[in-house]
Amino acid sequence: MLLEVKELNAGHGFLQILWDVSLQIDEGEYVCLVGPNGAGKSTTLKTIAGLIKPIRGEILFKGEPIGGLGGHKVAQRGIAYVSEEMNLFTNMSVQENLFMGAYTIRDRSLQNERLAFVYDLFPRLAERRGQLAGTMSGGERKMLAIARGLMSNPSLLLVDEPSFGLAPLLTANVFNSLATLHKSGVTILLVEQNVTKTLAVTERGYVLENGRIELKGASAELACDPHVRKVFLGV
Amino acid sequence: MDKILGWLKSAAGITIGLAILAAVAATMDRGPYILVNTAIAGGMLALVAIGLALLLGVMNVASFVHGEYFMIGTLVAYYVFTPLNTYLEANPSPALALVAPLIAIVTALLAGAGAGALTEIMVFAPMRRRSRENWVMNSFLLTVGLAVLLINGHQLIFGADFKGIVRYWAGAPITIMDVYISRDRFFAFVLSIVVIVGFWVFMRRTRMGRAIRAVSQDETGALMVGINLSAILIFTMALGCALAAVAGASLLFLYPSYPTVGLEALYMAWFIVILVGMGNIIGALIGGFIVALLKVLTVEYIGAGWDFVVPVALIIIVLIFKPSGIFGSEVRGVLDQ
Repeated sequence: MLLEVKELNAGHGFLQILWDVSLQIDEGEYVCLVGPNGAGKSTTLKTIAGLIKPIRGEILFKGEPIGGLGGHKVAQRGIAYVSEEMNLFTNMSVQENLFMGAYTIRDRSLQNERLAFVYDLFPRLAERRGQLAGTMSGGERKMLAIARGLMSNPSLLLVDEPSFGLAPLLTANVFNSLATLHKSGVTILLVEQNVTKTLAVTERGYVLENGRIELKGASAELACDPHVRKVFLGV
Repeated sequence: MDKILGWLKSAAGITIGLAILAAVAATMDRGPYILVNTAIAGGMLALVAIGLALLLGVMNVASFVHGEYFMIGTLVAYYVFTPLNTYLEANPSPALALVAPLIAIVTALLAGAGAGALTEIMVFAPMRRRSRENWVMNSFLLTVGLAVLLINGHQLIFGADFKGIVRYWAGAPITIMDVYISRDRFFAFVLSIVVIVGFWVFMRRTRMGRAIRAVSQDETGALMVGINLSAILIFTMALGCALAAVAGASLLFLYPSYPTVGLEALYMAWFIVILVGMGNIIGALIGGFIVALLKVLTVEYIGAGWDFVVPVALIIIVLIFKPSGIFGSEVRGVLDQ
């Protein structure tokens, strides 16, 4: 069990958002967390990533508790979080951002290896390696954010709404890249509002509504589930 | 070539060009001591302004206590050097006489760093944990209170007397371009250049320097790539305050230590930082020398008493035309938080 979240309760300030959220991810899986707007999907990812301190509940990564550790410690342990806001270093170039992604890797040759891997996956970024991150288009920034997350060679990749605000072609690109990543052995937890596409590419899914896990199961089954179809697909 | 010409026409280019012209003209008119005075004052102002810009850019703190770290520098240097000096008078030793001022300055640097680290740990970190709302205003007010505390603390414990030294190094003055420069002033200038270059190399070439730059651009992003945010904030604060302390310590022969000695450094640093664009560190470096030039020229051509008035008036005029400063501001908007 790579990641185990047990009865997680967390919130923002005085507002509790997550109520007894539990989920598990095994190594090599491609799992999604879907739900309507405001359900608490981003909060879930942020809490796992250590940016929010849990009120109650456990988060176990590779068997070790990581709840409330702090963002940098969780990142150092091998969880890469790609936020919806991207949090890129806007005054640094693409290449500088990528090298910052490899901050936890001290070995220079290892860093260069990761850079080559990432440029191979996203040739567009290689073309624009000297460009300032703040001057790039939305799609390119998303790519850079994912690429930066990959630079640390993470065991688990948390991706928050990568297709948000992107044109369909770019969305397809992003999903393709994630699929390629998954095939190369990266474990991915994907949060998305685009339910159809997400359930089509992932293996398993959790449905989060109002801060609680309402449904879980194989993605194929969820796609046929009447509740899911009614709430998300308007069918 | 086009890029250079384009830059020359920008506000930055025009200002630097005019400054160089003014410096050269005044030197031809009055003599090389103009350049020497500018260089020495510029080095000191640059150190304090860079520290302030660092705090503004990385920690988003509008520090009005920055002059007090300059004061701490003078204070520690005084209390380290004076006993050493007394000992030296009784037991002369060329080796110790050479090294004693360095011991004083390095101790002052460490004291400044320590004071900065303490400030972050005891003042800003708790504030950050409590609430991020109105951060800029709140942190500013905290620094004002801290300044009052430090100034009066100095007076209470060490007294309001001017605690000065005659000189750091004895010996004949050094001659450059027919100008006699005392060893102390020459060394102060060399030290400021060494520190500035060291700082530059640190920020550009080291892992920690890059981490500081990352934190200044996106704190959450920094956490996400594994940077220990609170450690970087402590270190940055220590660094900025150490720079101010070194400036104070190296100029102890010029600025004796007394409770409010930091105020001039504070005001000048703020003038520079506002002039060049807040948070801009290269700007602070260049601005230090530009404002130093303004001061030297004012004293030379208008009169010593005007040395605050004319530079500030010029800065006000510049800001009317370019509110974000000559080099542009890199600070997150004051209203953003």
